[in-house]
Amino acid sequence: MDFLTFFDNDFKILMPELYLFFATLILLSYGVLYSTSKILNYPIIQLNMGWLSIFSLTITLFLYLGNPITTMSAFNDLLIFDSFTSLMKVLIVISSIICCLMSLTYLENKKINSFEYFILILLATIGMLCLVSTNDLLALYMSIELMSLSFYILASYKRNSEFSGEAGLKYFILGAFSSGLLLFGISLIYGFTGLTNFEELAKVLTGINSMTNTVSYSGILAGLLFLSISLLFKLAAAPFHMWSPDVYEGAPTPVTAFFSIVPKMAIFALLLRMFYSTFYDFLGFWQPIFLYTGVLSMIVGSLGALYQKKIKRLMAYSGIANVGYMLIGFSAGTVESMSGLILYLLIYVVMTIAFFSFILGTQTEKDSKLNTYISDLENLGKVNPALGFAVTFVIFSMVGLPPFAGFFGKFYLFLSAIQSELYTAAIIGVLSSVVAAFYYIRIIKLMFFGTSSVYTTYKSMDKANALVLSGSLFFLIFFFAYPHPFLMCIHKASLGLLL
Amino acid sequence: MFDSSILLSLIGLPLFGMIVLFFIPDNNPDLQKNVGLSTSLLTFLLSILLWLKFDMSTPKYQFVEKFFSVPYSNMHVYLGVDGISLFFILLTTFLIPVCLLASWDAIKIYIREYSIAFLFLEAVLICVFTCLDVLFFYIFFEAVLIPMFLIIGIWGSRERKIRAAYQFFVYTLVGSVLMLLAIMYIYYTTGTTDILVLQTVSFDYNTQLILWLAFFASLAVKVPMVPAHIWLPEAHSEAPTAGSVILAGVLLKMGGYGFLRFSIPMFPDASIYFTPLVYTLSVIAVIYTSLTTLRQVDMKRIIAYSSVAHMGFVTIGMFTLNIQGIEGSMLLMLSHGVVSSALFLCIGVIYDRHKTRIIKYYSGLTVKMPLFSIVFLFFILANMGFPGTSSFVSEFLVLVGAFKSNVFVTTLITTGVIWGAGYSIWLYNRVAFGNIRTSHISEFRDLDRRETMVFLPCIILVLLMGVYPEIFLNAMHVSITHLIEQVQ
Repeated sequence: MDFLTFFDNDFKILMPELYLFFATLILLSYGVLYSTSKILNYPIIQLNMGWLSIFSLTITLFLYLGNPITTMSAFNDLLIFDSFTSLMKVLIVISSIICCLMSLTYLENKKINSFEYFILILLATIGMLCLVSTNDLLALYMSIELMSLSFYILASYKRNSEFSGEAGLKYFILGAFSSGLLLFGISLIYGFTGLTNFEELAKVLTGINSMTNTVSYSGILAGLLFLSISLLFKLAAAPFHMWSPDVYEGAPTPVTAFFSIVPKMAIFALLLRMFYSTFYDFLGFWQPIFLYTGVLSMIVGSLGALYQKKIKRLMAYSGIANVGYMLIGFSAGTVESMSGLILYLLIYVVMTIAFFSFILGTQTEKDSKLNTYISDLENLGKVNPALGFAVTFVIFSMVGLPPFAGFFGKFYLFLSAIQSELYTAAIIGVLSSVVAAFYYIRIIKLMFFGTSSVYTTYKSMDKANALVLSGSLFFLIFFFAYPHPFLMCIHKASLGLLL
Repeated sequence: MFDSSILLSLIGLPLFGMIVLFFIPDNNPDLQKNVGLSTSLLTFLLSILLWLKFDMSTPKYQFVEKFFSVPYSNMHVYLGVDGISLFFILLTTFLIPVCLLASWDAIKIYIREYSIAFLFLEAVLICVFTCLDVLFFYIFFEAVLIPMFLIIGIWGSRERKIRAAYQFFVYTLVGSVLMLLAIMYIYYTTGTTDILVLQTVSFDYNTQLILWLAFFASLAVKVPMVPAHIWLPEAHSEAPTAGSVILAGVLLKMGGYGFLRFSIPMFPDASIYFTPLVYTLSVIAVIYTSLTTLRQVDMKRIIAYSSVAHMGFVTIGMFTLNIQGIEGSMLLMLSHGVVSSALFLCIGVIYDRHKTRIIKYYSGLTVKMPLFSIVFLFFILANMGFPGTSSFVSEFLVLVGAFKSNVFVTTLITTGVIWGAGYSIWLYNRVAFGNIRTSHISEFRDLDRRETMVFLPCIILVLLMGVYPEIFLNAMHVSITHLIEQVQ
């Protein structure tokens, strides 16, 4: 009898993920049964499924917010739950809800009628939620695979577009390759320590730097190298960034939005847990890896975007540059850098949400197309000034211009870099953000400083996208006035991880 | 009670006007312009009140109030005024209503957004000059870019406005991010960004040199100093009239204010070390830009280059580190703010009528526009440094201060007065005297009542500063003496 109630508490703490998982299964069966039913004349349940998935994600969110347990490790230390994971999970679920909201109109217009889109988003979310709270290398691998497999299919979701199929294939091959590297790194670490659990590894590896004469740990370092490279692949950090512009461009736009927004949070949460608590003693080893990758990402991201003509590729390169800034903050290795990184993640997510909701919401009046090329945005400020000014503020925030929220994110990141005396990286960082300003300003120029006589009229934005854009814009503009709740949560989360 | 919140109301009033303007519909452009103008006039009256209540006998910051506090870090933003910032605030609140009044008929698109941009600019500029925290100074310093970029780009004249807007934006941004790194380093080593505390911290010599250079990168672009001055002629000639006015009048002074408030008190050893560098660049600025004006065909560019020359005088005055020099440079900043702005307004007057700024098309304006020619002559003489106007007093003080410090530099700078006279008179000669070109200018439209009201306060101010500068210098004495003592 005891045996049956042995994992009781563990299931209780896992309730939100379990709820989401069962909801996904039920929605899947609901979708299959209804969309293939001849009696109901094969109804199209795409939007229905969309709202149901938003509903289940919202309930998951409430389950997280109402969670009374603060710190616990479940399933014999396979998963861990503390205030850090709660914060990251709440952020991931909210971002998934917003991504679902943004994609509804797109799916309706492009007549993508297969309901599996939302099932895949839900599965990816479950993968990311488990990824945030892994405490073990095997759970890490399984969560990453769950997340990545859903992403591969989502990237090729538009079945009648070979562009999309190509994107999915590229993503799959590179993703499988990086998962292979991940597995190799995990097996090396297991081989040299005999442990896969993060907490146990932390205990074993404490103070290892002082034991160079008695213990040879180069095997563990090799495993760590493969592990970090694999995760850098998933983040699209330079020099492992090649897949990202092509995949972002080929995938359908709401899927691109999902890619830019949510996985970065999950993988950075994982990186923070692994490198700040488990492998912290190897700081001298992994700091240069992330530092050089970060600097290279910033340079590649800023310079690469200058020549882009398409909006989604521009966003891919800007994502690479932002990952560069985050890696610089990450490599600093202090508590302030961790808080700065989570804050920058939050602000980056909001900025990307704002920009993508703008892209998804502006459809041309004539044939309901989205803007593909940057030059399609010409004269938007004259046709629709309110939208033009809204996007202007989002872009100024992306440049990192005060008083918008983007500045504060960059400020905290570079502050923590300077606090760890990484001066060169900070200087390169700020200069590359000036270079990045060029291509952001170009968008404003196109919208307002009209030089061409091509005027495209747009339909009015649908409610979901309009609400998302206005909400995120409100956050970006007024963040500086009242950052207290966010800073408090982030502070609590960082202390929760490190103490 | 009113004392303690006067600065917040100075900042809040333009913001309130901005919010009111958002709700005024587009079928009522007169109401939009009126609301913008009256808000800025009210702010000006409020700042006069600030001046009257100012206590001139103490170098301490007055009207100090806590504005904002960033949680989990040691950053509390206090607002306060001392002798140096007081006049910049007055200059700002004086020039914004002048700008809005001057652009009454010239702006035809997005009238409401124009007034909103200017009111936002006013609020941010007052924040720049009153906040007592290095990081927030930087934030507001940068935030000025946003409305200026939009003003130059959207309402500028056709030809090269995009290039000008880009240059303005990127030049300033590059310098400023280096200043941001320096501020972060200061926060990291001292744990605070409060100016009052930082002025008592003494940095190590080599650190001071590097930090001074980082601050210099940003302030040199803003001032502007040669060789980072290239954005100025472009931005000035492409911006709308009121944009040039506020750019020349106040934005350049932010660089001077930055030097006086941050570079010199916080890094005194580095300031003394780099004085030869500043002198060299300023002398080059004065002579080179004065000579460059001789080749220009666009009137606004001539005045823009002469702005660079005047700011060369200002930087020399500041780095002489004696009381005549610094007071001279402060007064020169105020005087140049009014005189350059008035010159841009004059050019705006003829641009509004004939839609061109090329000198070739103008000659003999005195015949058709006599009142305007008198006003134009007055301001050209003021630009030259004619005795009786404010420029003479300020340039004289700067020269006296520089003479005490370095005779050779002073000699070179004094030749700058000659060049100034040269190009100013030549410009006036070509434009106002001579035979009328009836093929180009055929209408008689002298200054109307609105434009007279725009110029009248400027004329009064210039004469007042020239004949009785003690009113203005009085309030500055103590603060500047305090500054010099800090350096010693």
